[in-house]
Amino acid sequence: MTMAQMPVRPTEPVPPVPAAHRRGRVARRRRREDLAGYLFLSPWLLGLLGITAIPMLLSLYLSFTDYSPLIPVTESNWVGLENYRRMFTADPSYWHAVRVTVIFAVIAVPLKLAAALGVAMLLNKTMRGIALFRGLFYLPSLLGGSVALAIVWRGMFSGDGAFNAFLSFFGLTGKAWINDPTWALPTLMLLAIWQFGAPMVIFLAGLKQVPTELYEASSVDGAGAWRKFFHITLPLLSPVIFFNLVLETIHGFQGFTSAFVISNGTGGPVDSTLMYTLHLYKAGFVDLNMGYASAMAWVFLLVVGLITVVLFSTGRFWVHYSDSEVR
Amino acid sequence: MDSSARSATHDQPTPSFRPSRRQLLAAALAMPVALGTAACGGGGSGSGSDKKVELSIFWWGAQARADLTDKALALYTQKHPNVTFKKTWQANQGYYDKLATLTAGGNAPDIFQIDDNAISEYAERGVTLDLTPYSTNGKLDVSKFSKGLKEYGEVDGKLVGVALGENTQGLVYDKTLLDKFKLPAPTTGMSWADFITWAANVTRTSKIPGTQDPSAIYQALWVWLRQNGKDLYNGKQIAFDESDMTKWFQLWKDAGAKGATPTPEVIHEGNDSSVSKQLVVTGKADTSWVWTNQMPELKKNTKSDLGLMAYPGDPSAQWARASLYLSVFRGSPRKDAAVDVVNFLANDPDAGAILGTDRGLPPNLDVRKQVEATVTDPNMKQTIEVQNELATKFGPTSPSVPPKGHTKVKSELIRIAEGVTYGRQTPDAGAKDFVTAAKAAIGQS
Repeated sequence: MTMAQMPVRPTEPVPPVPAAHRRGRVARRRRREDLAGYLFLSPWLLGLLGITAIPMLLSLYLSFTDYSPLIPVTESNWVGLENYRRMFTADPSYWHAVRVTVIFAVIAVPLKLAAALGVAMLLNKTMRGIALFRGLFYLPSLLGGSVALAIVWRGMFSGDGAFNAFLSFFGLTGKAWINDPTWALPTLMLLAIWQFGAPMVIFLAGLKQVPTELYEASSVDGAGAWRKFFHITLPLLSPVIFFNLVLETIHGFQGFTSAFVISNGTGGPVDSTLMYTLHLYKAGFVDLNMGYASAMAWVFLLVVGLITVVLFSTGRFWVHYSDSEVR
Repeated sequence: MDSSARSATHDQPTPSFRPSRRQLLAAALAMPVALGTAACGGGGSGSGSDKKVELSIFWWGAQARADLTDKALALYTQKHPNVTFKKTWQANQGYYDKLATLTAGGNAPDIFQIDDNAISEYAERGVTLDLTPYSTNGKLDVSKFSKGLKEYGEVDGKLVGVALGENTQGLVYDKTLLDKFKLPAPTTGMSWADFITWAANVTRTSKIPGTQDPSAIYQALWVWLRQNGKDLYNGKQIAFDESDMTKWFQLWKDAGAKGATPTPEVIHEGNDSSVSKQLVVTGKADTSWVWTNQMPELKKNTKSDLGLMAYPGDPSAQWARASLYLSVFRGSPRKDAAVDVVNFLANDPDAGAILGTDRGLPPNLDVRKQVEATVTDPNMKQTIEVQNELATKFGPTSPSVPPKGHTKVKSELIRIAEGVTYGRQTPDAGAKDFVTAAKAAIGQS
């Protein structure tokens, strides 16, 4: 929440009392309300400082050291840019992990958004029991990043899993999808795409905002379904699409849980599921090079930040805000 | 995980009053404080003989190991009523993540289980207590250990881990399956080529692959290297070269072509470190490459009878390995008490009788003899018999503890060997990659 979104105090009718007195009381009450506000915020503020901000700054420092979790921070040595040099020039797995992550994000994010939009449009119809369907389609996302879901996925796409049993109905023989270096990553993508509930709900809200008169008017003018979609739905939905795109891109780059669970923490087979964050985790907690892992985390933060900035700068060309004509 | 903690929550009385809003608020505010104190607690008194001491101890393993360890520790408390234990254990996977995190937070357990994957790392970082003074002044007795086993706990000349079990490489095969198809069992001492021919024959007859492909299994590579006059490490250097690795990868590529090994996806499944995923118990191959002390645990996962033998080739290349150690945290305020417990678990005959061969053969040779005489579990019996028979064939030299970075070398071997089995890399290219990766992992320039 930004300050601009803070609730505006309603202008109440004020009882007729001497002006100076009134001001004092109002100010006191404001102070009290501010205090209460901060008090209510305090768990979050403490969390932000203690769990996010301070550790983040510490990790920036650690990224210039050879810190290992087995030694006290004070005993770690300053190594300058060595971790960053190693990352870019001496760790082939690093670039491999970058490649895997980019492929994952570039394929899974658009497909997930397309699936979310498609289902949202179906669920935008009025029919009996639509609320139930909306709930059911949202369900997989409630289980979201959960470990349990990844374990189910692992069972489903293993050699003797449910998916292969399903294929055998059609006389097809599957393979151990998650154990095949070609198919393991697509299996992870499918899991990500399937969890389209969160963007779907946002799309659904966006679709409800599109004025029905526009569709009616275009029907009168003889526009077909495709034309309506491309000339009414998409432009009017573009702010929502943009919002979802930014969020899901960031989310896509951060994929960790499913890769960790499905590959048993290895990123295998043959590093085919070695996502950036998984490589980072292994560097920090398995190989115990926490300094190196910190450096990787900071590069990651900067790159994801940069991608977000780029997305925002392209938004100018394709995102239409409905109030833009007014300005 | 911690059974005592679990039962404690069950015993909580259910509150019957309706708290007011103010009480709820107070409770909500107090909660993090209370949790914080709980996390920081656990500090105890020193190690005087009658002062109350609570020692934290942490190990990996399955339920059976937990039961046995609980019993042995209870026996210690019975003999030393002032000493109690805060026990934590978990599955193999994720154990070292947890241990590293605890250490980073300054909360390393007083006593922790560790193995040769990590002991050098922890010793060189100064996490483990140097036990040499204790073994000199007799507070810790390793005199009844075999020489190799004691030395396998030394890093840079310091005793940093007390072996709590001894094992060696073991090839486990499904006897029931072989009998069903009237196939001969493999035998200790058969050459690698004969073994592969045997496995290919098993595949042909039983339609189940004869053996897991061990090209990604470091201890198999290690034995094979030693049989060829090489080794995995020589101090802090690797002791093999590209041509060795090319031969190794080629050996198993050819074995695959002959049908001796499963498909790459199945091989990958079997390269999982957990006992229950081994192909011999999942029925996806007839033989798996394990450690001898894993027999009873393997047996729990299958209905078949299992046979146990040495890895192929000359068994004198195998050695008595410390399957795992107990180490004491250098920063522990209760070091002396902790060392005494370690000494008890390794040398006390009663403790030895309780622990059996779950962690490997008892390290103390006297205790081992006594356990061998009394053990009833048929799988433990089999382990002991085979391992004792192998022990007579071990060569005069055993390797030293693997250097820091060994874990990374292992995972690099899996990655590259699987790359070769999946056909992503030629044996040549794989060999080159592995030598580079292994050198980088142990910091050899």
